[in-house]
Amino acid sequence: MRKRLGVILGLLIAVVLLAATAQAGTRGAKVTNVTLAGWSSGPDEDTLLNQVIDQFNKTHPTIHATFSVINGDYPTAMTARFAAHNPPDVFYVDSSVAGAWAQQGVLQPLNSFISSSKYNTKAFFPSLLGAFEVGKTVYGFPKDWSPLAMEINKGMLGQAGGKAPTNWATLQSVAQTMASKNVVPGGKPICLSADWARMLAFIYQGGGSLTNLTSPAAQAAVSFYVGLLNKGLAATPDKLGAGWCGEALGKGKAAIIFEGNWVLPFMKSTYPNVQYGVFPMIKDKTGGNLAFTVSYSMAKDASNKPAAWTLLSWLTGPVGQKLWVSKGLALPSRSDVKAIGGRQAFLSAAPYAHGWGFGNPNFANAYTVMNNDLNAVISGGKSVSSMLSDVASALKG
Amino acid sequence: MTLQSVAAAAEPFIPGRARSEIAKKAFFYAVIILVSLIFFVPFLWTLITSFKTIPDSVNVTLIPHPWTTSAWHAIWTQYDFKTFIKNSLFLAVVVTVCNIFLSGLGGYAFARLKFPGRELLFLLVLGTLMVPDQLRLIPVFVMLTNWHLIGNFSGYILINLVTATNLFFMRQYFSTIPKDFEEAAKLDGAGYFKTFYRVMLPLALPAISALVILQFQGTWNDFFWPLILFGQGSPSHYTVQLGLAELNFSYSTLWPEICVGSIVAILPILAIFLAFQRYFVSGVVSAGVKG
Amino acid sequence: MTRAGGHPVQHMATASQAAPAPRASLMGARLREAGWGYGFVAVPIAVFGLFFIYPFGYAIYISFFHWGILGKQSGGTGTFNYHSVLHDPVFHTALKNVGEYTLGVVPLEMALGLSLALVINQKIRGRNFFRSAFYFPSIASSVAITTIALYIFNSDGLFNRIIGSHTPWFSTASTVTWAIVGLNSWTTSGTIMLFYLAALQSISTDVYEAAALDNTGAWRTFWKITFPLLRPAHFFVLVVFGIGALKVFDQQFIVSGGGGGPNYSTTVPVFYIYRKAFTSFDFGAAAAAGVIYFVIIFALTIVQRLTVGRQEAV
Repeated sequence: MRKRLGVILGLLIAVVLLAATAQAGTRGAKVTNVTLAGWSSGPDEDTLLNQVIDQFNKTHPTIHATFSVINGDYPTAMTARFAAHNPPDVFYVDSSVAGAWAQQGVLQPLNSFISSSKYNTKAFFPSLLGAFEVGKTVYGFPKDWSPLAMEINKGMLGQAGGKAPTNWATLQSVAQTMASKNVVPGGKPICLSADWARMLAFIYQGGGSLTNLTSPAAQAAVSFYVGLLNKGLAATPDKLGAGWCGEALGKGKAAIIFEGNWVLPFMKSTYPNVQYGVFPMIKDKTGGNLAFTVSYSMAKDASNKPAAWTLLSWLTGPVGQKLWVSKGLALPSRSDVKAIGGRQAFLSAAPYAHGWGFGNPNFANAYTVMNNDLNAVISGGKSVSSMLSDVASALKG
Repeated sequence: MTLQSVAAAAEPFIPGRARSEIAKKAFFYAVIILVSLIFFVPFLWTLITSFKTIPDSVNVTLIPHPWTTSAWHAIWTQYDFKTFIKNSLFLAVVVTVCNIFLSGLGGYAFARLKFPGRELLFLLVLGTLMVPDQLRLIPVFVMLTNWHLIGNFSGYILINLVTATNLFFMRQYFSTIPKDFEEAAKLDGAGYFKTFYRVMLPLALPAISALVILQFQGTWNDFFWPLILFGQGSPSHYTVQLGLAELNFSYSTLWPEICVGSIVAILPILAIFLAFQRYFVSGVVSAGVKG
Repeated sequence: MTRAGGHPVQHMATASQAAPAPRASLMGARLREAGWGYGFVAVPIAVFGLFFIYPFGYAIYISFFHWGILGKQSGGTGTFNYHSVLHDPVFHTALKNVGEYTLGVVPLEMALGLSLALVINQKIRGRNFFRSAFYFPSIASSVAITTIALYIFNSDGLFNRIIGSHTPWFSTASTVTWAIVGLNSWTTSGTIMLFYLAALQSISTDVYEAAALDNTGAWRTFWKITFPLLRPAHFFVLVVFGIGALKVFDQQFIVSGGGGGPNYSTTVPVFYIYRKAFTSFDFGAAAAAGVIYFVIIFALTIVQRLTVGRQEAV
């Protein structure tokens, strides 16, 4: 009996040792696991990102990166994980919350990694990188960006003279022509969202800015925007039976909309028969546009920071980013990566694009105030100046 | 013997009454058929849309044009709905069984056993209903993280072992059962647990059936806690709701796929409902009292 | 009467009737009952204590500080969070919105649920079918149902095409609360129907037979006999679904896209708490709002207990 037990024990030990050595043999050096988390904007994006991650894993045998999608309330899920000191190592940060997350101390400052690995941050467009900087501390690198452009239904534009508007005056006159000729039956010439994430571009076009919202320029811009709605030349998407302006364009309920890069894959899959053109955003006193961008950032509580840094810097470096923008789902945030063709209307906005929410920790909260007040202004219950002062004080915190 | 038939039997026969009875009955059936139809329409639309192509899915039409099963195919192959259904089933069954047992036990105690502080403790139970999930999210999440119960099902099952709603309902139900049964059991020498298990629990079958249906469904449809507790790792842990959320992208909603997913999500609950609803048939309890 | 076990019982009964129980064993019996009582409720109380009471205590604690994601922040101790919440016009709007919502949805869904239960409880043809049909809306998840509702009540959706309107019901400030009342009473009526159905089974048919022998009409039987006998169910439904209505969040969140608009019309207290916590990261204020709201709900529940729940003495 004892002899048999001894044999079994010996065999067991042998098996374990064999397994351990086999493990060591195939793997070589120890493999570090790094987790990457983000949200998903579409099935194409998912597939592409997984391809990018696979490429990283192939070229970095000592690190194994896994991407997990958070399909729901991303900020809430992330906040819970930050609070529990158990966050993913690398993750998306939207520019509108970057300031707040940095202030809360959950993002890892990257300056020491940048200097020790001599990473070239100069390739990033300064206004985009600035979204994730507080003072001189860098908290993330922009992975891509998208501004707004103007999309117009080609057929309807043709019926109104064929020339796309270039400024406020021509926008209004084209819309007027469309309205009088009833070019958009059952709808309105322009679809305008009751959203500061669109209207703010107009404020910049009028010469106003987020830091001086009570200026006459800002007032005039908002009045113009709301005026289009009141004149019947434009309507909000819900009045057109759509969830957002892209849907309104697709349903033929609006001829002119202002949306970003994301409208292209949407129209292609859901409304493939609608012929529309992409035109540069209009200007007025000056060019004005918004830059929506998201960064890859590292968690302060990341378990293996050097490995996380390798992943982060590769993803936002020239090689990783080139792969990422290869399908045209977004624009590159680096000057040394070329965008794919056909994106000229968006790229021309670069010099005039202002960051969406950049650096202000009170921005996410102020955004709620912005849109609720804007709805009140549109329905006539609040004055433009009262909204602007509300927002200004919300931004101050 | 139902209210109507008994009442009808007791009334003296009056000629001419038959016609108005038929008219009343016809009207009654017409109304409930109309109500059923209204209740069904959204699901009819879901079923129809699941057979449409994406561009067609945005039209308010009753016939898919063209007609396609691509969404059904995509759901079965591209997304691992088999695993999602397995996970959801596992969680729903475990949570439901635990809830029935624990809420039955607790509900019975609160209804029929005397112990000091009972009223205060019951108020505490009711108090839990007043704490919104959003408020307790962080402390609960931090607790479960420290105990290493996230990323798998154990944390979720632990916090859902029993709910105040279920316990409260069982208490209310037990309080309506005549005391004769327990007194009989006591005279037979049965202890407290045996009385509960052998006598009271079977008598509460209608209540238990209701709770089985509702708890199964509640767990099956739960999205928030699964997302937070185990929905951020590998999709092998996803439930049906988490899987459905994969189809909801910010700017490109795949309506046909979502419809397929919704139908697949609804079928098991429907099955449970159809299986357990017969226990609501009147006369189940009265048989126990009379016989 | 059938007895469990089937033991010969008579002589035991006589024996216990003959000799009065001594005081000591009475005390012992009480102790035993209490022991078993505690034993039965031990696990539920533990779960509630850990996952509801403790977090709530934690909330009370942090409500006196400036509290961020990673813990206490500078700024001292005090009631400033309570002060800021109680004086916040958005919080007042939230309370008003949820009050309107609750006063609309609770009576409606109770009436619907009870009516459906009464209909199903009778011997009608196709009973199983109707029971399933009435329960159907309750089956789907809130996200699915709200998405479908948004589609049907679009400004040019099915509903508006039938009644000839163009109002986007879920995005107009003046109609959104009532649209959600309609939606939620439709979906919860099936659930309430189930609770009332179960409760109706516990009313023995002797009661109905007696009423029929007295020649009581159907309506009188319902109002004077059935309705009062359903008191435990009424109390249950009122408390659970009343609190549920006060805690409403999902539909308002989905319909407003997370913004609480248009013009704060879908901002309800739970949404206010959520925003304070997860958008402003002001956990202290969120906790204060949670405590304040808890007190409000608790007071309302006590009132319900004292009025509808009065006969609970066992």
